[in-house]
Amino acid sequence: MTSVPTGIVLVTGPTGFLGQRVVRRLAETGRPVRALVRPGTDSGSFDACLSGVSNPLVEIVPASFSDLAALRRAVVGVEAILHIAASKTGSAASQVANNVVGSDNLFRTAVELSVRRFVLVSSFGVIGASQLPRASLVDESVPMDPHPERRDPYSFAKHRQEALGWKYHREAGLPLVVVRPGPIFGPGQPILVGRVGLNLFGLFLHLGGGNTIPLTHVDNCADAVVKAGLVPDIEGEVFCIVDDCLPTSRQLLRQYRRQVAPVPFVRVPFVLLRQLARLNASYSRRTNGHLPPVFTPYKVDAMWKGQRYSNDKAKRLLGWTPHIPMEEALSMTFAAQRRSC
Amino acid sequence: MRIAIVGCGQFADAHIQEVRRIPGATVEAVCDLNYHMAEQAAARFEVPGLYTDLDRMLDDVHPDVVHITTPPGSHLAIARKVAEYGAHAYIEKPFTATAAEAEELIECATRAGVLLCVGHSYAYDSAYLRMKRQYEEGLLGEVVHVDTVMGYNLAGPFGAVMMGDPTHWVHALPGGVAQNNISHPLSLLLPFLPDEQPVVSACGLRCRLKRFGDRRDRFFDELRVTLLGRRTTASLQFSCRARPVQLYATVHGTKAQATASIDSRTLRLVHGASLPGPFARVQWAYRDERETRRELRRSVASLLRARLHFFEGLHELIRRFYLAIQGKGDMPIPMMEALRTTRIMEEIFIQCDRQLEES
Repeated sequence: MTSVPTGIVLVTGPTGFLGQRVVRRLAETGRPVRALVRPGTDSGSFDACLSGVSNPLVEIVPASFSDLAALRRAVVGVEAILHIAASKTGSAASQVANNVVGSDNLFRTAVELSVRRFVLVSSFGVIGASQLPRASLVDESVPMDPHPERRDPYSFAKHRQEALGWKYHREAGLPLVVVRPGPIFGPGQPILVGRVGLNLFGLFLHLGGGNTIPLTHVDNCADAVVKAGLVPDIEGEVFCIVDDCLPTSRQLLRQYRRQVAPVPFVRVPFVLLRQLARLNASYSRRTNGHLPPVFTPYKVDAMWKGQRYSNDKAKRLLGWTPHIPMEEALSMTFAAQRRSC
Repeated sequence: MRIAIVGCGQFADAHIQEVRRIPGATVEAVCDLNYHMAEQAAARFEVPGLYTDLDRMLDDVHPDVVHITTPPGSHLAIARKVAEYGAHAYIEKPFTATAAEAEELIECATRAGVLLCVGHSYAYDSAYLRMKRQYEEGLLGEVVHVDTVMGYNLAGPFGAVMMGDPTHWVHALPGGVAQNNISHPLSLLLPFLPDEQPVVSACGLRCRLKRFGDRRDRFFDELRVTLLGRRTTASLQFSCRARPVQLYATVHGTKAQATASIDSRTLRLVHGASLPGPFARVQWAYRDERETRRELRRSVASLLRARLHFFEGLHELIRRFYLAIQGKGDMPIPMMEALRTTRIMEEIFIQCDRQLEES
């Protein structure tokens, strides 16, 4: 049985939306944190995130994932790593360069320096939901996507990153724990995520219909990531992180229109969406990529086939519970978005 | 033709896509020093060969052409190996990091009897080709001056990555981000400037705040270059601040002026007016409007016919290069033109470096 890590926790991506909350959570418990930032990052980014925390033990360490010597210096003496840093935009190649090549260096360094816990924050996008029958339960038992290249660049890169983490776990004994959060929301982050729909020239295409949106509030998710780093004896486990009382896409859009802005929208039913995806993929193929295949039937199936979600395993093994209820989390987020409108 | 790609960064995607559109050409292998980069390209494009060792790839695959899409500092070493092996090479811009490297590479290719094509792909964009045709048909008269403008977004997809990483290869180039880009505007103006060695005058400004304390603070984000030939002059403006970000070339001829925009893929001819006094103002505006309307019609028709591919120039350049290899056409960009461009770029950055040292 492994004991609870009490030493330094290294956090990558500490200036990001989730990373800031994770650093704060750790600092609140009085745990020493080493925040790995890109060289040249303004250290002032932590001032707001740590305000109100007394005597935070946060050390800021600039290091690039491609600089092995600097990475090694950053990992020396660290007991647990919470790897949150992720590049979410750009081509598939640049996302692989940022998310996979850099992670490879970090995985290797963690193994060499015998880090006791490595938490990788992955994504729902790696789950092979396309293959499941309609209205299936999506949880940790669903295998990873066999064809991530048919999804979007982010899902592809995260798939490759997680698969590499598992390879290090199997072959080199990396004490890996994987956290797969659904779309993370909260003040400062758009709530009408891709699973709800997309904005097309000022008109919102509502794609989600009656599908459940597997959201997690940023503070709830941060709790789960911290617990994944500290709870003993869970190496080799995966946790899907979604909050309780998940809204459907329709409910979310309705509440958004009431509480934030009455965005004009058009509902696109699943049957039509799938036909449009077929058309998009076929046009793209026939015209040698004149328009990119933004929607493909494979991607549509992965996101909008009436899937259900479970957070039972995280509750059971991590002792996690989403402490901010969905209603309150949405209301805070809507209020923040109203102010910024 | 058997094609291989060396260097699987994001621009390799464009090469693979465009090669696959050319009848008779197949991408047989991808190669990158980093396994993950080679693997992601092979997986997404279903390329059968995946290598991290160039020698092994050449021995196993026997490519006819190798596309080199690696950072410029590695072009000489890779292209020399490819040439000595006996394959032709398409080399992404900038051709090499220095003029001495360009000379060595061309000598090597000449000895090996292979062709090298530099990736000045915007010179094969349809709007620019139409402008060149107008010049060749005598519509513009003799070229007096050429203006080229290139904008760059330091917060864009490539710019953000580069500015976020002090070890990024762009910062190792003597001219930094400008050196990675100005071969494009140069490739648009040099075909109109016949002088082998025009007089180069370059200066720059660094307008962004110094905040990194490393090479990312050094390069000029505004660059102005003038080139003086015997009868023709040219200017080049590289700007990281001007918006919209765009690339265009304007040719001022003795008969008319033409502007080819790479971004809007339009061509605008300015004839001036022939009517007297105030009527000239109306006629000038009318002619401008007619030009604009014609280009709009052309754009809509191209959209409907699915002919507005983003990498149109790259496709055309690759297509012509492959034809030249098969003896069915001239080299689209002769190797000596790549050398001339590299020499002019080197002179530009020597002058910029001097200015940076003095400041």
